[in-house]
Amino acid sequence: MLNSLWSRYTRTLSLALVLLLVIVLELFEVRTSIYGNALPFFEWMRNSFWFGVIGTKYGSFYATVQAVHLLSMAVIGGTVLAADLRLLGIIFRDIPSETLTRGSHKCFRISLTVAIATGIFCAAGVADKVYYMEVFWIKMLVLISGACFVFLFKQPLLNSRPHDEINPWALRLLAVTSLLIWFTVAATGRWIGFS
Amino acid sequence: MNKSNKWDDKEIAATATGVIILGGLILYWLLQMESTLELLELAYGSVKLFNNPLAF
Repeated sequence: MLNSLWSRYTRTLSLALVLLLVIVLELFEVRTSIYGNALPFFEWMRNSFWFGVIGTKYGSFYATVQAVHLLSMAVIGGTVLAADLRLLGIIFRDIPSETLTRGSHKCFRISLTVAIATGIFCAAGVADKVYYMEVFWIKMLVLISGACFVFLFKQPLLNSRPHDEINPWALRLLAVTSLLIWFTVAATGRWIGFS
Repeated sequence: MNKSNKWDDKEIAATATGVIILGGLILYWLLQMESTLELLELAYGSVKLFNNPLAF
């Protein structure tokens, strides 16, 4: 009975277990202790030559890396808008949404990798500042949960079958959630810059 | 539309994750809006959108 339930609803039950784990960890204040212990790592990032020092000493290098970061964020924004607005039936109605979501996901994967790599370098230059910013941790939380959402839930469902066989309300919900996730990542990123 | 009209594992998991994340993000932005309005009220007594006292 339990085995057949687990084999039929592996993903859903795993999600429930992860949520339960998060609640338990929060009750035991694990997040608070990790936050306190992370300060030496941020100080190391700030003082490391290849991360923090090179970024703050050579302004042109930092600006170049940040430009690549912003360009990759722009590509992420473009792929997300194209795929999710197509799922909502607003744009590109003449292109099958299966074709668009698969094609744009390849671009999304590459640009997300570039954005994360350049983002680590950009954050390292101001690591001693961002550590104390609530908005930085909000951005990290949304980025991680957004990446998990896209790679573990949204894309596997969209790739599993033709989209007209998926409940249209589920598709709309996935699209709106994805749009708000990447909007929040971009907005909190600019918020960090202006704080 | 799903032909069998039954939601499978992938559909349930994706929808549940979507609801949780979307709910969290909407709550976050609503709280940000509320605290911004409170700050504006504290600073200027009342909130006048389109009549920003800083601009005049």
